[in-house]
Formats: sequence, C-alpha cells, structure tokens
Amino acid sequence: MSTEIKIKKRYLAMFLIPGFILVAIFVIGPIIGTFIISFETPNGFGLSNYYDVITETSPTKALVLLNDMPRPPPWGALIHNLVWTAIHLPATTFLGLLLAYLLRRVYGRSIVKSIMFIGMVIPMVVGGLIIRFMFDKYIGIVPNLCGLIGLTGLDKTWTSYPDTALIALIIGSIWLWTGFSLTIHAAAIDSLPKTYIEAAKIDGASDWQIFWKIIVPSVRAATLTVIVMTMLWDLKIFDIVYAATKGGPGGASTVLAFVMWLYFALDLAYGKAAAVAVILTLLTLIPAAIYIRQVMKRG
Amino acid sequence: MASVRLESVVKKFGKVIAVNNVSLEVKDGEFFILLGPSGCGKTTTLRLIAGLEYPDSGRIYIDDKDVTFLEPKDRDVAMVFQNYALYPHMTVFQNIAFPLLLKRKKLGLTKEDIKKRVLEVARLLRIEELLHRKPGQLSGGQQQRVALARALIRRPKVWLMDEPLSNLDALLRLAMRAELKRLQKELGITTIYVTHDQAEALSMADRIAVMNKGKVIQVGTPDEVYLKPKHVFVGTFIGAPPMNVIECRIEEQDGKYLLQCPGFTREIPQEIMASKLVKTKEIILGIRPEFIEVIESPAPDTIKGKILVVEPLGSETILNININPENEETIIKVKLPKITKKFRPGETVFLKIDWSKVSIFDKTTGFLLE
Ligand SMILES: Nc1ncnc2c1ncn2[C@@H]1O[C@H](COP(=O)(O)OP(=O)(O)O)[C@@H](O)[C@H]1O
Ligand SMILES: [Mg+2]
Repeated sequence: MSTEIKIKKRYLAMFLIPGFILVAIFVIGPIIGTFIISFETPNGFGLSNYYDVITETSPTKALVLLNDMPRPPPWGALIHNLVWTAIHLPATTFLGLLLAYLLRRVYGRSIVKSIMFIGMVIPMVVGGLIIRFMFDKYIGIVPNLCGLIGLTGLDKTWTSYPDTALIALIIGSIWLWTGFSLTIHAAAIDSLPKTYIEAAKIDGASDWQIFWKIIVPSVRAATLTVIVMTMLWDLKIFDIVYAATKGGPGGASTVLAFVMWLYFALDLAYGKAAAVAVILTLLTLIPAAIYIRQVMKRG
Repeated sequence: MASVRLESVVKKFGKVIAVNNVSLEVKDGEFFILLGPSGCGKTTTLRLIAGLEYPDSGRIYIDDKDVTFLEPKDRDVAMVFQNYALYPHMTVFQNIAFPLLLKRKKLGLTKEDIKKRVLEVARLLRIEELLHRKPGQLSGGQQQRVALARALIRRPKVWLMDEPLSNLDALLRLAMRAELKRLQKELGITTIYVTHDQAEALSMADRIAVMNKGKVIQVGTPDEVYLKPKHVFVGTFIGAPPMNVIECRIEEQDGKYLLQCPGFTREIPQEIMASKLVKTKEIILGIRPEFIEVIESPAPDTIKGKILVVEPLGSETILNININPENEETIIKVKLPKITKKFRPGETVFLKIDWSKVSIFDKTTGFLLE
C-alpha cells in the first residue's frame, strides 16, 4: 500500500470519528444500558427478569399462553407477534406484488398507488384509530359487509371481542402496509426491460404464467427487501395496538412492544421492560441477518 | 404453416409515422425479408405482425384470419428480438425450453422430449456447451444464438426474426445463414426476416421487401430488386458497390432527343427510348457497376474518363472513374469480375455502357420510368 493511500485512510478515520461518537452515545450506549438493566434485579445481577417475563401468566402481560388450546386469544404477546407475521407478511408481500403487476397497464395507476401509499404515510396511531372505525359495528365497513352477506356472527365491533380483536388488527395492518410492497415492487417492475414480458407473450405465456415465471423471479431482490422490512415492522408493531385496542380485550391483542410498554409505563418495572426489549431486539436480528447476508452475497 | 397479409397498415408514434401504409403478402412457406436502412420501420412492422403493437389503421391477416387486434399468444408466432430479450434469471437451457414448457401438456411432450429438442437446436446453433450458463455470462453473439434457438425450437405458423445474425462474426454468420435457410426450407415454416444487410437479403430471401421511411418501396425476388429496381433508392441501397447514379437532362434538338449528362452528351440510345421518357426533362441514370466495360483506347459510343482509385477486392476489382473534368466528384464505379493489374490511377480510359441494362428514374419522384 502506498503512503498516499495510508494518509488518505487516516484522514478518512478522522472524518468518521465524530459520527461514530454520536452513534456510540445515542445508539450503542442505550442498547448496552438496556441490556445491563435487563439483568438488574433486587438481589443483584441475574436472569430473574427474563424468567419472570417469560413465565408470566396474566393474559395482559404473558408472552406465551398456550394452555387449553385450541381456544381464541389471548395466546400471549410473542405468539400474537408470530401469528401477526405469519398472516401479515405473506399477505402484504404478495398483494403488493400482484397489484404492482396488475396496475402496470391500468390507466390512472399512479392514483391507485398514491392511495395505497397513504396507508404508509399516515401516523400509525391514526392508522390504529382508522382500524377501530373500520371494524365498528355501527360505522365500520367490515362488520356491515359481514352483516350484508349473512355472517351474523361477525356483525359486531371486532375490536371489542377477544376472538376477533387480533385478526381485526392484522387485517387492518395489511391494508396499512400493502402500499409499501406495492411501491417497492412497482419500481422494480417498471425497471424491468419491457422485452422480457413481450418475449414471454410471444412464447405463449398467459398473464398468470408471466407473473409467476418472469415477474416474480425477476424482482426477487425487491421482494427480499420487502420481506425483511415487513418482518421488522411486524415485530416492532405498537402504535396500532395502542390506538385500536390497548392490547385488549383481556390481553387478546397484545404484542411484545406493548407488553414492554406496560412493564415500563404502568408497572415501572424497568428490569422486566428491558428484558422484553432485549428479547424483541434479538428477534429483530433474524430478519436483519437474512438481509445483510443477501446484500453481502450480491455486493 | 401460413400466409401473412398486411393491408394498408399504418403505425404512428406521436408525430413519427413508423409504418406508412404498408401492404404485403407473404406466401405460405416463404422466406420473406424486410430490408431497409436503420429506422425505416422494419422492427415496427415485425412487432405489428407479432401483436406487440396494434396499428392505427389497416388490417393484418395470418392464414386469412384477421389477427389485427389479437394477443401475441393467440397468433402462434415465434420471434427473435433485435436485443435478444433473454430471461436473465434462467439458464440458457431454461430459456430455450421455456416456450415448450409453457405448452408441455397441450403439445403432449415429456421432459425427455423437450431435452432432446433443446439439445438438437443447441447443436445446430453451436451453443451446446453454454446450456448451463446464465445469459449474463455470454457474449453478444452467443446471446443472439440463444435468442434464435428459443424461436427455432418452436414450430409456429410464422417465424419472425429481427436481425438475428447481426452480432455474429463474419464466418459464423455465413454458416448460420446457410443453416437457417436449410432448416426453414426443410420445415417449410413461413419466415419474415428483418435485416439492414443487403448481401444477407440477396443471399437468403425468396422475396425481398425494400423499405424506406416507413414505406415499402419494392417487393420482388432478389434478382428483380437487384436488376430492376423500381426506385432509385432500391438501386442505391442494394448492391456493393451500389448502382451508379447520374443526374441528366433530356433536350429536344432537331426532332432528336439528346441525353445531357455531366461529362457527356449523346442521342438517346434505342434501347431506352420510351414515350414516357421524352416527356420527362430531368432524369437519373442508374447503371450497375458490372454493366460497364472499360476500354483502354478510344472507341465509338464510349465516355472518356480518368481512373482515380483502383480497389482490388480479392476476387474482383473496383475502379473509381471520373467522367467530368469540370467536377472531381462525378465518379462512376466499375466492377471488374477479376483481379487485374491492367489499370492504374491517373490513366485515361473509355467506358462503354450496356444501355440495355440501364435504369432510368424520374428525378423528382425517384421512381423508375418504364
Ligand atoms: N416505441 C416507440 N416510440 C417512439 N418511436 C418509435 C418507437 N419505436 C420505433 N419508433 C420510431 O419509429 C421509426 C421506426 O423504427 P423501427 O421500426 O425500430 O426501425 P428499424 O427496425 O427499421 O430500424 C424510428 O423513427 C423510430 O425512432
Ligand atoms: Mg430494428
């Protein structure tokens, strides 16, 4: 290595130091702090915070509550997050991709895209309120539709009943988040050369075959981004729950972030709140690791 | 197998008229070539036939069935794209097999059948070593052959090929021309082939449509478009070197008609005397370089000229001869069908034109006067 490059590297380090210090103070520091607090107990350092939050059986704060299954929620915040992800992740990813493909040739597609995108730009607290209204017995569109088509059991305020609260939030969040998948996938599809689709048409592919055999594999990189971001979003979900149900009724719609908040803001049990936070952080490392590995592979 | 017919087809892109009132009739089993310079509307014509564009007016028929607004997949055509359009996420094998895989059930093919067909066509195009690569790992010429293979593996009603050999090196191109022509004749699949290379068109086509600026100027066999160009454009576009063109005037003098050209004046030869001709004042003489004889000493009925350049081309020799001392740029090219050391730059020679092979065009319209 020439001395010139060495000098340049030294300068580079100098420029990076201020930024690094800021990150250290405001990001890494608090993370380590939280980590430490999670081990602090009345009798010195230990794992009891973790033990307590994991074995908690009160429905509003439990992480896992799977006795006497099958039965309606509450199933515990961690299970709710997993169910949420299991439904919401494939639904939004696929719907967004399909809509991006179908809207490709539709006149006025930018208007549709903008409407879908609104779900992403409004504050999630507002989104939570909208969900509550959407599923309200008197003014909500979903219960009224259910009533119209004869599903009388669902002609009620979904967010007020344990058996429907969680699914109402999940369906509502699909609506709020599909715009993300749509936007990313539409950009990816727009950047594909038109001739791929034309060649497939000539080769005799139907629209459906073009979607599965050409579009889906060609936008894989975009899909991966959507999947990872959506997994993170699903794990971190809080505002919607807070605004729509407060985790209720009876803990039927709690999530990890909400339980963390309960420990922190209501119980003032900082050690336990920190323990939930660490669990949540460890879970978010999974999608983050997937993503980083893919980016490294491509880069 | 099928015939293809275009009736007064017009296609505009904004203000650009890419295809201007084109009518064509391609016969069943024919190797039909669209020939013309870049931007003349060849690709657009092909895309209209494929169903990738819809015309602003006019009709398109395949086998007497009106397909003007039919989807591409319902026309049963295969196409080689000018820019290949290979699927980047599939291997070469998957690319070539793709059209068959889509219709595997309908065609009643097993996976083994498809594999056999892919290997067959890959061997024909000399890409069997590349089958497991992705398009991104291939050179332009290799990608082009994969694109060709993807079309050739099918047995559609019509093959549409947009400059499918343009990116191959000269030797391979010659070999592929022959293979393609042989395969087409063997299977009898109607083929519409686009090229801007006149030599390729002359060597491959049953019939050629010469296009310019969105219009079809002439349709004919290679011999017809070469020997009897209907328009000065056809004469100058086809042939290497192209037809010599000389702008001349026709004057009436003492009841005789005189041809006044830069460098020479002569009575209109009996061979080209025509009633239509004498009514036109401004004409263009078109003479193919091989229909001029070069003589070293003065002879009756010859034009005096001076050799400027001698181009030996292996099997033939091209002479550039100036026939107008007043203008260095009045040049006639002569093709001698052999290597010769007889002529040198600077020499004075005498040109004898074979008037029976001369074409006369109207200077204002460019069309042949008959
Ligand atoms: N999609 C398009 N949009 C606008 N203009 C186009 C489009 N396709 C072709 N053209 C124009 O139409 C004319 C004919 O193009 P093309 O058919 O590609 O010619 P060729 O294949 O003979 O080179 C050109 O002037 C070209 O610029
Ligand atoms: Mg073209």
